[in-house]
Amino acid sequence: MQCVVHFPAQWIDASKFEAALRNSCAPHSAGTFEVNFEFPTNCRVMVDAAIRLLSLVNQLASTTRRVRLDFEEGVSGTMGYLNRMGFFDQLAPEVEVLPARPLYSAAEIHRGGNTALVEIARINKDARDEELPTRLTDAVMRSCGGRPDASELEGAAWTIFAELIDNIFAHSRTRLDGYAALQVYSGGNRLSVAVSDSGVGIMDTLRPTLKTEFPRLVGLSDTDLLVEVFRQGLSRHGSDRGCGLKGSAAKAIKFEANLDVRLPNQRVLLTPARGTYRPNTAYCYEGLALIWGTHIAFTFGLGA
Amino acid sequence: MNEGVQVLPLREFMKRDEGWGRDQGREVYQHLLRFVEDSPQTMIFKVSMKGVQRLDISFASETVVELARRYRGAKGFCLVDLTDRDLIENLDAAAEKKGQPILVWRGRSADLIGPEPSGGAREAFQFAMGRPQSRAAEFAQARKGMSIANASMKFKQLWEQGFLLRRESVADTGGVEFVYHRIG
Repeated sequence: MQCVVHFPAQWIDASKFEAALRNSCAPHSAGTFEVNFEFPTNCRVMVDAAIRLLSLVNQLASTTRRVRLDFEEGVSGTMGYLNRMGFFDQLAPEVEVLPARPLYSAAEIHRGGNTALVEIARINKDARDEELPTRLTDAVMRSCGGRPDASELEGAAWTIFAELIDNIFAHSRTRLDGYAALQVYSGGNRLSVAVSDSGVGIMDTLRPTLKTEFPRLVGLSDTDLLVEVFRQGLSRHGSDRGCGLKGSAAKAIKFEANLDVRLPNQRVLLTPARGTYRPNTAYCYEGLALIWGTHIAFTFGLGA
Repeated sequence: MNEGVQVLPLREFMKRDEGWGRDQGREVYQHLLRFVEDSPQTMIFKVSMKGVQRLDISFASETVVELARRYRGAKGFCLVDLTDRDLIENLDAAAEKKGQPILVWRGRSADLIGPEPSGGAREAFQFAMGRPQSRAAEFAQARKGMSIANASMKFKQLWEQGFLLRRESVADTGGVEFVYHRIG
């Protein structure tokens, strides 16, 4: 069966990305052998959607499905933007790109030159890049370094990158690469930080250990459990671990950041309330199209 | 306890001036452990953060906090040369999660990171922090209505939870008495 994911001619954030997936047949479903992603003129893919798309496309390619990305506008449109981000450098070679794969990587040419954009960084356990959290943080500072709270933002960004990326090394259990990316939007007022892996989702590693490690939490829904992961810090390794995600959230909360967590079939949106993330302000979307792994995005509203 | 105090310069055990992640932390921990084991006479290690630019919570948890927890009750670990707010926050988050209190010394005053002493033991902790060493009898004497047995219980609890160190000594009466020491 052929599956078509058609994106609308507008800005595609993580929510629009989900809507397009929902309107298609599920790309990962057993009968699907070919998946086409269509990007019409004026379709603009934002960074949080871009790395989820990249993860999904590479997952499909790894399962020997034929995958095609069709950019109506060619390099003058969103394809050019994705190219600057390094999207095509990370795209599995067997994925077909229409009208054609870019001849050169704009990310390599522009590397470090664009203050509002950073290349998508690859996260691979066997080729650990020790500079990665610092490079990503430096990119944040190129855009936000003039802010009065720049030093606090710098510390928060570094810790968030360090913890989220290390979490992928520690938990995702996959040979597929993970990705990290960030973008500063609208004159430095909004910062989006996204980290994505194609491994086993966080619930699938945590749930089986609840009975022994956190028996009090066995009855919690996935949404409530996820809130506790970021609020208390839970880990399948026991009660003295799990401080990474909790610590990242604590840093992000200081900047009133919204948190978006995409799991294999669910998406949970957390908004801060009274200095923490709470179950009663969390929104959960269930029954989504399968995407392997855990995909986390913080959006900082940085104000003027 | 001055003769048993030693500075442990964390940066010298790290490859870079940033400590990132559990794996890197565990590697550094092995070197820290060897350093501690090679210093059997040392009771208190002042972990110097000089030259350390950044630490994430996972790295802090696997190094300094793990060391303090492992030797809880036997050797003490405190932090010095630490003023960076992010470093303090991340060390605090790691210490809190592992339930391991650690003192951060600035000159002659100290702040506590990680868990705090419980309500009942707080006063005893403050008393012990005010002097290099304390005995239960001294605390009982200084607080009206406090029995020696009660004071002794509070100090023991603080020692078990990693807030204080203690040494056995011979009391004036000839029996065994514990002398409690602040860490740092």
